[in-house]
Amino acid sequence: MKTALPLFFAVAAFAQDVTREDWPQYGGGPSAWRHSALDQIDRSNVRQIVPVWAFQTGKVDGGLQSTPIVVDGVMYLATSWNRVFAIDAVTGKELWHYFYQNPREIGIIYSPVNRGVAVDSGRVFMGTLDNHVVALDRKTGRELWKTNVEDMQQCGCNITGAPLIAKGKVIVGVTGGDSAHRGYITAFDIKTGRQAWRFWTIPAKGEKGNETWLGDSWKYGGGSSWMTGSFDAELNMVYWGVGNPAADFYGESRKGANLYTDSVVALDADTGALKWHHQQIPHDVWDWDSAYECLLVDLPVNGKMRKLLINVNKGGYTFVVDRTNGEFISAWPVAKNINWIAGVNAKGELMGRNEPAIGKPTTICPSIGGGRSWNHAAYSPRTKLFYTTGIEWCQTVTVQKEDPKEGQNFFGGVFQLKMPADGGGHLDAYDPVSGKRIWTYRSKYPLLASQLSTAGDLIFTGDPEGNFFALDAKTGEKLWSFQTGSGHRGSPVTYSVRGRQYVATPSGWGSAVAGIMTQIWPETEDFPPGSTVFTFALPEVTR
Amino acid sequence: MIAVALLMAQAAADPAAVAKGEAIFAQSCSVGYCHGVGGSAGRGPRLRGRGFDRTYLVNVTRDGVPKSAMPGWKDRLSGGEIDSVVSYIMSLASATDAAPANPMPPGVGPAAVNAFKGPAQAGRGHAAFFDAQKQPRCATCHALGGRGIAAGPDLSKAASMTPKQLGAAIQATSSNHTSIVKLKNGESFPALQTGSEGGIVKLYDLTSPPPVLRSVLREEIGSIAKETGWSHGAVSKEYTAAQLADIVSYIYYAGAGTTRPVKAEELK
Ligand code: HEC
Repeated sequence: MKTALPLFFAVAAFAQDVTREDWPQYGGGPSAWRHSALDQIDRSNVRQIVPVWAFQTGKVDGGLQSTPIVVDGVMYLATSWNRVFAIDAVTGKELWHYFYQNPREIGIIYSPVNRGVAVDSGRVFMGTLDNHVVALDRKTGRELWKTNVEDMQQCGCNITGAPLIAKGKVIVGVTGGDSAHRGYITAFDIKTGRQAWRFWTIPAKGEKGNETWLGDSWKYGGGSSWMTGSFDAELNMVYWGVGNPAADFYGESRKGANLYTDSVVALDADTGALKWHHQQIPHDVWDWDSAYECLLVDLPVNGKMRKLLINVNKGGYTFVVDRTNGEFISAWPVAKNINWIAGVNAKGELMGRNEPAIGKPTTICPSIGGGRSWNHAAYSPRTKLFYTTGIEWCQTVTVQKEDPKEGQNFFGGVFQLKMPADGGGHLDAYDPVSGKRIWTYRSKYPLLASQLSTAGDLIFTGDPEGNFFALDAKTGEKLWSFQTGSGHRGSPVTYSVRGRQYVATPSGWGSAVAGIMTQIWPETEDFPPGSTVFTFALPEVTR
Repeated sequence: MIAVALLMAQAAADPAAVAKGEAIFAQSCSVGYCHGVGGSAGRGPRLRGRGFDRTYLVNVTRDGVPKSAMPGWKDRLSGGEIDSVVSYIMSLASATDAAPANPMPPGVGPAAVNAFKGPAQAGRGHAAFFDAQKQPRCATCHALGGRGIAAGPDLSKAASMTPKQLGAAIQATSSNHTSIVKLKNGESFPALQTGSEGGIVKLYDLTSPPPVLRSVLREEIGSIAKETGWSHGAVSKEYTAAQLADIVSYIYYAGAGTTRPVKAEELK
């Protein structure tokens, strides 16, 4: 029997960044690497892993987009419609459940999903579709407090992302980038539920940055914060990606750079005050959020160690910045079919903007679903590679003038997906700074599940057809695959209990992006929905 | 059989209603992740090339599908508009192409802003009551006209109060309904009790907005005292005297349907 113990010491330098027995946070650690030091399952034996349990959540609407959180042998799982389950991570037996009561009439322009809980100080935290944050007792699932962040009927926004914990606060973002709404990130005291701070993603009249909005457009300018941020305890900064300005496609009534949409913002963890921002796309008219994960890693740049932040945007570009001050380092694409810009120059500025025309269809690549979707990348400190998906697809966009109605859809145009010659998906390994591609794994359909990296030099992920598989982190070779019966749209994790390593993956097809996929792959309309967690391990005898 | 059904559906359609419905559909239904251009599918199901029962479509469009992403449109579209959209969706049954050639029907212009329909002063009061840029605003703790967060008292009943009484309540330095809750762990906070079930007491913690609904075990509570340090006046400081008068006028309009001009002096 091989023990994972010695490795724990070897990686002590990354204490915060890699996971071990637990999968304690949404991104694994606060740096969002999605990498585990566990190496019991490795390239030599991954072919032998077998399912040990499956957990059916019973709500298939929207699929299962969650990241299970595992602490002390208990898995905390959030599902569509804000159900939370505590599950024995060894047996798959339910310990308790909590079903949040959303209002009966609730209009959601995305899916009724939840991407995960946060666990801290004996509590489980979740953001809800009707824009509340709830705290539950970790042992019993009993509700302790519940705070209404804003009235969802008025803002038209939901919380679907997992909360981030930093400095005794539970921090949440909201959807609403496609509605007439002004975005924000809010922190609550984990003990009392009282609001600790709020950062508005769009500056108010009189504040610096408001001059980048025409007239009153800032009040309805979107700037959602729908994914989960990262935290650097040493710098005391919380990092969050901000979504697109609204209306998505019609930009005439919001002339200007539209700060802080399509930006990464660094906030003081104690006060929520803005420390720096880096805007990737001034005046976005394509619906390219910069809302995905902020992966924090220290790497040499031109021979000098730098504290970096890596953020892939929906337009298909990866932006690397210095996370101490937001200084631009590099930008590189994750998809081939990109025509909205010709490129990014050495200063990080966009070159050759191709804006969709008002009233007549313009072909834009990638599609609104993104050069990559929100499903998260992983970073391995062993290979020093960054693993992310990319999607080849296009669309015609027709811009139409639209006026804001508070809390209502505010797209300013319509889109229709279009297949390019080489349409489909891929998962690639890159040098994170230069963007040099090391290997590629091609897939017929876009890959919409997150990557999991392990010290066994494996990358786990799943595809829309229901396959959950492992690739060699060094070569991209497929080593193992298992059919779970429904497509993958969530985030696999790994953990260990009493010396046995487990790999768990959500399986369950659904989501807004899965919905629009049917416009170019009509057969996917019949892909079976589901909502199950499958857990794998080496057979007892082999270990 | 299918051909006959389609012919009947088409025969029943009034071309003007279909055209009007197409324009509404383009702005309300096909947008974003919803039903796609011409009902070609998105996050919402495909509506193109499928047959539907008219009554079913009217009901779903009007009321939405409970516990789903499909909202009811009865508050946003008139009965006539809903009929037109339904006529348009019915007309899509015979479509054989994946999406329409022209994604933007003629005549789609800017949509009317959801303006408050009511007297001018109540309209200003409504805007102030729900002003999303204010933290807190009245709607942070009160629901009115079917909107807002109902932590504090139901204000639809407040329409029976005189302007002077309302002014006193809004600018109150003392409070009738709140208490000070002391927990055995030493914590204490001003609260509005909302109910108890089993051994659990539910309280709105009013220490700072937004209110926090706390579920406290009865055995955790040391005492609940009537006198309190909480004052409603602090939240009304967000507003000018003129705005408070507008808000009172809105309370009358929303609660009792009456148009009643209110002057700032009347609140004193
Ligand atoms: C922080 C939460 C909060 C905010 C914000 C708030 N209220 Fe209140 N309101 C309360 C509470 C709690 C009470 C009950 C007070 C008491 O104990 O008498 C109350 C009572 C009232 C009453 C008396 C109702 C009755 O039936 O006696 C009126 C009228 C009222 N509020 C109007 C307003 C208006 C108008 C605004 C905006 C200017 C506002 N409130 C903002 C919490 C709030």
